Amino acid sequence: MTDETQPRTDGGTATALPGDSHDDGSHLPPRWSIKRWLITTNHKDVGILYIVTAMFFLVFGGMLALLIRAQMWAPRAPGEGILSAMAYNQAVSLHGLIMVFWFLSPIATGFGNYIVPLQIGAEDLAFPRLNALSYWLYLASGLMVFASFFQGSTFAGGWTLYAPLNIPAFMPSIGATTTVFAIVTFCASVTVGGVNFITTIHRMRAPGLTMRSLPLFTWSWLLTVWMMLLAFAALLAACMILLSDRLLGTTYFAMTTDGGSVLWTHLFWFFGHPEVYIVFFPALGAMAEIFQTFSGNRIVGRKWFIVSMVLVALQSFIVWMHHMFLTSINLEVKTLFMATTIGISLPFDLMVFALIYTLIKGRIRWDTPMLYAFGALVLFIVGGITGVFLGAVVLDYEFRGTYWVVAHFHYVMVSGATALIGALFYWFPKITGKTYNEFLGKVSFAVFFTGFNLLYFPMFLAWGTPRRVFAYRPEYLVWHRIASVGAVILGISFLLIIYNLTKSLISGDDAAANPWPYSTTAEWAVSSPPPLENFPGTPSYASGALEFLGSDDDGSGAAAATDGGHATEHEEVHVDHASVWPFVTGVFSFVTVIGLSGLQVGSYPAGLEGLFYQATSVVGVVGLISAISAMGYENFTAHEGGFGETWPFGGVENTKMGMWVFLASDVVLFGAFIGASIFLRVAYGWTNWHPVPHNPIPGLVNTYLLLSSSFSVILALVAAKKHSRKGIVASLVITFVLGLGFLVNKGIEWLELFHEGVWLDSGVRASTYFLTTGLHMGHVIAGLLITAYLIWRAWNGAYSEGSGETLEYFGLYWHFVDIVWLFLFPLFYIV
Amino acid sequence: MIPDAIAASVLQSGLIPRGTRVQVFSEIYWVFLGLGTLVGAVVIGYMLKNAYKYSDRGGADEKERPKLGEMPTGGGKGKKLFLSLSLSAIIVISLIAWTYGTLLFVEGQTGDQGVDVEVEGYQFGWNFHYLNDDGEYSGVNTTGTLRVPVDTQVNLQITSDDVFHNFGIPALSVKGDAIPGETTETWFKATEAKNYTAHCYELCGQGHSYMEAGVIVMEEEAYNDWYAEQRASAENDSAGNIAAAGV
Ligand SMILES: [Cu+2]
Ligand SMILES: [Cu+2]
Repeated sequence: MTDETQPRTDGGTATALPGDSHDDGSHLPPRWSIKRWLITTNHKDVGILYIVTAMFFLVFGGMLALLIRAQMWAPRAPGEGILSAMAYNQAVSLHGLIMVFWFLSPIATGFGNYIVPLQIGAEDLAFPRLNALSYWLYLASGLMVFASFFQGSTFAGGWTLYAPLNIPAFMPSIGATTTVFAIVTFCASVTVGGVNFITTIHRMRAPGLTMRSLPLFTWSWLLTVWMMLLAFAALLAACMILLSDRLLGTTYFAMTTDGGSVLWTHLFWFFGHPEVYIVFFPALGAMAEIFQTFSGNRIVGRKWFIVSMVLVALQSFIVWMHHMFLTSINLEVKTLFMATTIGISLPFDLMVFALIYTLIKGRIRWDTPMLYAFGALVLFIVGGITGVFLGAVVLDYEFRGTYWVVAHFHYVMVSGATALIGALFYWFPKITGKTYNEFLGKVSFAVFFTGFNLLYFPMFLAWGTPRRVFAYRPEYLVWHRIASVGAVILGISFLLIIYNLTKSLISGDDAAANPWPYSTTAEWAVSSPPPLENFPGTPSYASGALEFLGSDDDGSGAAAATDGGHATEHEEVHVDHASVWPFVTGVFSFVTVIGLSGLQVGSYPAGLEGLFYQATSVVGVVGLISAISAMGYENFTAHEGGFGETWPFGGVENTKMGMWVFLASDVVLFGAFIGASIFLRVAYGWTNWHPVPHNPIPGLVNTYLLLSSSFSVILALVAAKKHSRKGIVASLVITFVLGLGFLVNKGIEWLELFHEGVWLDSGVRASTYFLTTGLHMGHVIAGLLITAYLIWRAWNGAYSEGSGETLEYFGLYWHFVDIVWLFLFPLFYIV
Repeated sequence: MIPDAIAASVLQSGLIPRGTRVQVFSEIYWVFLGLGTLVGAVVIGYMLKNAYKYSDRGGADEKERPKLGEMPTGGGKGKKLFLSLSLSAIIVISLIAWTYGTLLFVEGQTGDQGVDVEVEGYQFGWNFHYLNDDGEYSGVNTTGTLRVPVDTQVNLQITSDDVFHNFGIPALSVKGDAIPGETTETWFKATEAKNYTAHCYELCGQGHSYMEAGVIVMEEEAYNDWYAEQRASAENDSAGNIAAAGV
């Protein structure tokens, strides 16, 4: 790879500042250095890491798909074919999980990272280190999936992980536990990323760029991260509970727990349906950008397109039970969810028509990105129409669990992938500064489109085949054979794509800043690739079009405009772009998970193996805590933004807004835990259920302790306003002592219960009590660790001299933890 | 939800497919397939037509095109957009509403007549417990084969002994989840005395691919004979072995 950061000049667009040399000032090694990629926090670097890693997982998931198609070459008798029954189940499960979690979402995240800050005029994300952390957690979670194959067997119960097949009684392998851990780690990555993007998009837009005028890709990405934040919190809850069942022996999903199996389907699909749009929205946004650029038309009905996306994002949380039409839910509920499902399809119709009408009176150029985007829309229409079949409950009764579903969702999901490949070609020149081979690109599309339809269309014709089997009726043989051939062709097209892009990266022609006529968005107004700080001046839309203020550019293009009144100097504040701690945190997350995966129903395996897992756990946990503390202690300056603030986020600092957004996801997490307890209690019989602690008094005492500790945090804030170091330290110490009192009190209560023989596995009442209040206790412990850190910092005068903002952010968290307790106390001690 | 009176009158109108599950399914399926193909062909055809018509062939361009750095905007053709949306909404909603009538019919059929059987999935096979008229176990149980009379409604109560399964007889268009601790109800009616196969439709472990059961549809008399015989031998068994409590 050659150094591509050189600014290029080509008339009409602003070029990078000569001051680009402050690349060196940021201590970020050059691009050919491996070290750069380990420590970078720059959004463009992280974006590249995401895209490249996602492509690796595409290959991985694709190989599993080829194994599946090889097994399906003929109906197999037991033991026949290249895969054993268990190997086949693993391939089926991990193909789905990897494609959804480790390819589709991350490649979109890559574009979100690279493109969105450029489109909105931000120099970086609000929390660059958290962004790097998202990536490293993503990579760590992906490596956990790799590792799981070598730990007996990976997860083998389908990507939907239905209960109770997912518990050790039916799936005892350590690898299955690691897979669930991998999902939990991925959820953490997504949550961190979501907080970051939401804060960035709501707070760091260029002046004048209102929400209504955000580019469509940014809009789609904003809604994606909002859906991610809330939906993945539900999946996180589901998988944390599952891990608790697997590691500690709680009995939420046990075969004997009434409602346990159905509880899983609710939790999973509450996440699972929004996930469809989480995967598809970035593709839709990319399609909108590509359609506009390559037809030379602005999108038709832009406002309605955005309204439709917002409607879909909202409605996505109220359709999940259409995955459960064949369970014992009653007719009224089925009717309701049938209606919401049809309702959510209508905004899509509007968006499809908007895209089609955008072509009219255009000057359509059929470059590779447009071929893929156009192809994606055709495939999506087929996927959408076949989805309407599933919306009719009577037909769904018949299609459930068959290849109709498989064919339908591949038409939808892989049409999304098709559009994202279009996006890859579209933004490739911007990201790499190189031009891809257009002819090879077109060939790859022809191969791709042929392979796609050969692979998935016959599945409609062979729809009578049950999902996830490799024995099928002989009359379907020909269709499954064609599908298998199509799979190979589709695989070849990916090789062509990867070959084209790799070759072009090494020896392609240099790309212009704006290789596409009629493109409008800001990423095309800077060089390819853009300089480290993105813009040659402060980007602004205040005058109604993009201009770079305070730029000392030679006057070419947009940057020339100087607007006396609003021009702000391009600040020469030092901004950091490097930190090693996100990487280290990722490494130790991996180590921790590998260690803990050995734990099963409260005990480690015997002998050397157990010793290995225990030692690894200890090393991992110690390393993890150290890395996170080091990251907290590190001095790191990021861009603050704060230009494009909009209600209700005006005047809120980035960190405070980030904390609010994080707490929103935490609300869903606790909501899912509390919902799960209530659901199981209803299944158990509400009135037969008695609280596990015999005595509500310790709980009541704890309520007072927490409430007073909330008050003492407020006192600390007051002291900070008065710049009283002693006051801050004293109030924080009181908070700490009260919190510790809560823990001790709780500890005594638990020890007494353990003493009586009540353990996490003593039935569903004990399970829900220990796990839900345990989750809360984890939050209290985290809060106390932070308090201890704050006391130490306050003692050194950190908040009395500077501002007390950090205390305020902590206060938000702490009040939230207390409020949660106000729900838990009556639920688990009184009712 | 929908007032019963309206539901009833729609049900009686003759518009709504009724009959065995096979009949209603295929009727609705073919209507969906026909309309779906038509709509798909029209929409994709229209796309392709415009894609061809407006392809860039050089030449003069009188239209004002987007410029780099402009504030993202877009609009126009709002009427056309909403017209298309309304059209598609009308098609989709009326189709679904039409099938909703059948859903009411199908859901209304469970329970009150015919033969009752509890289907119990296990890793990896199916048990069938026949129920008597009071809904209690009759003592007649089979494993791996479901025998039912022809032209009679068979009501299934599906459950599981271990993990989540799904019991379905594709040729008879009947399916239901088999969930441990829960019962899902469904029904079917076979119009021909022949043999069918039931499959499991939910991944349930190693043996999932082969988790099948035979379904033998018998002439009414043959079935009655078989059932009486089973009944008698079950009673003999329990009489001979009082200790054998339960099923
Ligand atoms: Cu769904
Ligand atoms: Cu099965």
